[in-house]
Amino acid sequence: MLKLITNNSDLLNKVKTGELINGSSLDVLINVRSLVHFGSKILTHPLCGNLRPNHQPFRSVIIDEQNGLVDLESLSLIEDAVHVYESSKLIYPNEIDELTRKDYAFIDFELMKASLIQYNLLRRDLF
Amino acid sequence: MTKLELHKLNVKSLKFSDKTFFADGVLNVNKSELLSIIAEDPLLGKNLDVDLAMPGEKVRIMPVKDVIEPRYKIEGKGQIFPGMLSDVESVGEGKTLVLSGCAVLTAGKLVRFQEGIIDMSGPGAEFTPYSKTCNVVLVLEPSDPEMDKHDYEKACRMAGLKAAAYLAKSCADSKADKVEEYEFANIREAMNNYPELPKVGYLYMLQTQGLLHDTYLYGVDVKRILPTLISPLEVMDGAIVSGNCVSACDKNSTYSHQNNPVIADMLKRHGKDFNFVGCIVTNENVTLADKKRSSSYATKLAAMLGLDGVVITEEGFGNPDADLIMNCWKAERLGIKTALLTDEYAGQDGASQSLADSCPEGNACVTAGNANEVIVLPPMEKVIGYAHEANVIAGGWNGSLADDGTITVELQAITGATSELGFTKLGAYTL
Repeated sequence: MLKLITNNSDLLNKVKTGELINGSSLDVLINVRSLVHFGSKILTHPLCGNLRPNHQPFRSVIIDEQNGLVDLESLSLIEDAVHVYESSKLIYPNEIDELTRKDYAFIDFELMKASLIQYNLLRRDLF
Repeated sequence: MTKLELHKLNVKSLKFSDKTFFADGVLNVNKSELLSIIAEDPLLGKNLDVDLAMPGEKVRIMPVKDVIEPRYKIEGKGQIFPGMLSDVESVGEGKTLVLSGCAVLTAGKLVRFQEGIIDMSGPGAEFTPYSKTCNVVLVLEPSDPEMDKHDYEKACRMAGLKAAAYLAKSCADSKADKVEEYEFANIREAMNNYPELPKVGYLYMLQTQGLLHDTYLYGVDVKRILPTLISPLEVMDGAIVSGNCVSACDKNSTYSHQNNPVIADMLKRHGKDFNFVGCIVTNENVTLADKKRSSSYATKLAAMLGLDGVVITEEGFGNPDADLIMNCWKAERLGIKTALLTDEYAGQDGASQSLADSCPEGNACVTAGNANEVIVLPPMEKVIGYAHEANVIAGGWNGSLADDGTITVELQAITGATSELGFTKLGAYTL
């Protein structure tokens, strides 16, 4: 089943199937890694477009949730991404002012939008 | 064989005047006429302004969205910025007037944390090539603060292009200080040229991930294309236009596309060190399927052209590193040697991993610098734009702007500081 894993609650409201992680961008990646261990495949790159971990508190990844053999490509991607985030300073959604938080959330949505449409995960009324 | 002549007027100074024209190295700008042209767009607000900034002045411009070189076609098919300002006719031949040494800057508030800083003097000026250009700065605002961000981004982008074309068009009757001639062979000629030299191409990666991360080719959003061929002469005529802001240090401005130094150097060495066969433009999309498709297709085109080697330039950082690396190993495994041009995000101490991805085939890599290096920008006498954005732009942090106007930021906040086209002032020199 295709689904979005995200810590961006604004974005979760816009998708058909998703799971909200109450935590940091790194928590999202660790959660995705656990799902990959059970056989899920990653469909969007786990690193953010052009923003360092300390420049974007939100992280969103589309996966194809499955149980089965580990997909080695997905495993390699998520391990590398977790390593990048673990070795960087992070910013946390609850530590920034509301206006800035909304901007970050908006950019996260914008960068995911084309992928959400491609995988038919975006709610129809939001095209 | 196609030919393009760049008729260059050397702009050494700017001044406001009641007419826009060029004389004796001075670009005279009719401010009200220029303002009336950009104010035609109902999406832009009433408080628009045009300001001038010269090299050496104690002026800071921020936040800066794009930099554009004024150009206008005076002979030949099509017009500058095809598909954006003008019809979609192909460009890259004939004669194009260039206001060399001059740039149009679009400054305006988009989404926060997106744009860059240009200092015209002091330590910051040493890191941006746009401190050495005579800058016509458009200070823009939306007509409605709640406007859709896509609409406003487009309005700012178009204002810059319109201003650049207007300035060059107004000087179309002036005699060029210098004429540069460029030629580019078609594929049949290229295949027979210089049989003793290796055939080399340029794989030109463009950032295409969404709002503020988009690039346009003949007006087409590049995220929607399959990799394709383009003549380097088309690029000089503005076939590629930047719609992105992130991050300021390694966004490829429209100016750096127009003056792409990789293309310039490959044309210089064409027929001497190698046979420059052509450019392949490709995108940097978000989904893994798109990344795989584009990298396979772009490298397949390189193989179809019979290339022995490609120079690959990246735009941006993070998941575009995955595109860069896929392009690299896929080309190498097709027997095409690669040289990569990128920048680094190696942490403020320079000790972290520089790229988010890597591969053993990527053994010829040129860096444009570490974007995380911290720099202190002393206060300036004048700020065009909004200094308080320093606290939220990429490369800054809450507290970056001190009370006296000093700004402490990472290099990535400085427009063009680590340009991955190599259009930068950083470099290594052999003593």
